[in-house]
Amino acid sequence: MEQNQVMIRLEGITKTFPQKTGTLEVLHGVDLDIHKGEIFGIIGMSGAGKSTLVRCINLLERPTSGKVYLDGQELTTLSEKDLRQARQSMGMIFQQFHLLMQRTALENVCFPMEIAGIKKSEARAKAKELLELVGLGEKTESYPSQLSGGQKQRVAIARALATNPKVLLCDEATSALDPNTTLGVLELLKDINQRLGITVVIITHEMKVIQEICHRVAIISGGLIAEMGSVEEIFREPKTEAGRELVFHEGDSREGYTGHLPHCYRIVFDESNSNEPLLGSMMIECNAAANILAANTRNIDGKVYGQMMIQLPEDEALRERMIANLREKRVIVEEVEHV
Amino acid sequence: MFENGLVSEIIIGFWESIYMTVVSSLAAYVIGLPLGLILVATDKDGISPAPLCNKILGFIINVIRSVPFLLLLVAMMPITKFVVGTVIGTKATIVVLVASAAPFIARLVESSLKEVDKGVIEAAQSMGASPLRIMCRVLLPEAKPSLLVGSAITMTTILGYSAMAGFCGGGGLGAIAINYGYYRQNNEIMLIMIVLLVIIVQVLQEIGLRISKNTDKRL
Repeated sequence: MEQNQVMIRLEGITKTFPQKTGTLEVLHGVDLDIHKGEIFGIIGMSGAGKSTLVRCINLLERPTSGKVYLDGQELTTLSEKDLRQARQSMGMIFQQFHLLMQRTALENVCFPMEIAGIKKSEARAKAKELLELVGLGEKTESYPSQLSGGQKQRVAIARALATNPKVLLCDEATSALDPNTTLGVLELLKDINQRLGITVVIITHEMKVIQEICHRVAIISGGLIAEMGSVEEIFREPKTEAGRELVFHEGDSREGYTGHLPHCYRIVFDESNSNEPLLGSMMIECNAAANILAANTRNIDGKVYGQMMIQLPEDEALRERMIANLREKRVIVEEVEHV
Repeated sequence: MFENGLVSEIIIGFWESIYMTVVSSLAAYVIGLPLGLILVATDKDGISPAPLCNKILGFIINVIRSVPFLLLLVAMMPITKFVVGTVIGTKATIVVLVASAAPFIARLVESSLKEVDKGVIEAAQSMGASPLRIMCRVLLPEAKPSLLVGSAITMTTILGYSAMAGFCGGGGLGAIAINYGYYRQNNEIMLIMIVLLVIIVQVLQEIGLRISKNTDKRL
């Protein structure tokens, strides 16, 4: 896999929407490089502008300013006709699938090929192949209303792949699915990425989705890229408030410890030290107790990480010693203001 | 009770009514369907926005729609005469029916097409579909069930108008009802005409709904 050739480049993307009173600026200048063949995640809270951002990639939304490049070609200056041509090399799937309800699964997959002017018999053969690839070889003649959510999304994926795109854009593709179905669809996306070498861009608000399949991730907050890096980096040491918010609280119930507690720390350990009783031995060695507020483990691309939220004692000298003790054990420790 | 030949006159009238309704509906759809598509496409959130064109077209449609059918029948006489060479009978009525129904159809089609999920249109755009292709291959097929229901409504409305045209020399069951039932105060004839019209409306409505339901793939 060629890792560092740029497939999608966004330069200074801004987007404002006219409102009844004044304008609403959703994106404030986003710069982003997405590499060929990678699975790139864009994560953010709802309202952060991530859906607008992904629509700026295939220009379903025209950026107010800034440039979009796909595989070296600038899209933002193309004519409508050339843009339509260029869009055929970008597949897109959606949260609500957006299948044609009056067409069978097979006819749905044929639709983009119809647009691309591919012969009908050829299109049908290719569509059959693609439906088999996504595990729906038996359902070619079913209508979307006869399929489950996961199956519909598989049809949508097959449809998005029909014109051999270079890029697959996924807009909250698993948000309407239950956890098991989500896993299945993510596995499929991973498989497609590996087998066909297609660059995959995933928009989501769920850290789980990012952990499951993404290579790199950008955190978007308030219309800007707050931070960007490998999923591992972001998880181990999120540098921004937005990053911490996403990494810490994903899936956890915040009830019970939402107050402002002093001297709270987040500690992260990985496989190399997760078998040792780190916290226990630290407490024995320092002869002081730490209050465990929350704990969980994450599986990121096959590696297990554990994280804990702990509260340390008032005494500053003692606290320093406890932190130093943990750091000696190669545990990442950072103070957090809000638990 | 019946004068000689009245029965055969009723049979002819029945077929005239059906004929006027079907032919007018078809012709009115030829005009109204594209107008409805243009209304939807040129909307400010449509697939090829053209707000000015949209406003002008909408205004013209509203103007024609606000003229009562009976007035249109009279006002259009010169045009009708020019188009079919006469201002009475079924042919003349058809001209006015088309003029009156086309803008009505345009609005009905517009509302049917607007029911199509915006997301599906967006998906088609993301595949590089042109506006024309979206109209023909996405909007119309996806809205088909709703369009069929609309066409049943249209046909019953046109049938009602065609009966009204009986006052101004139009043909069909309406003319018989006016000439025998009203001017000669034959209440039985009037009643029979009303019953026949009710039956036709019921049948048209039922056929429209059935086809719509049976071809809808959304279950």
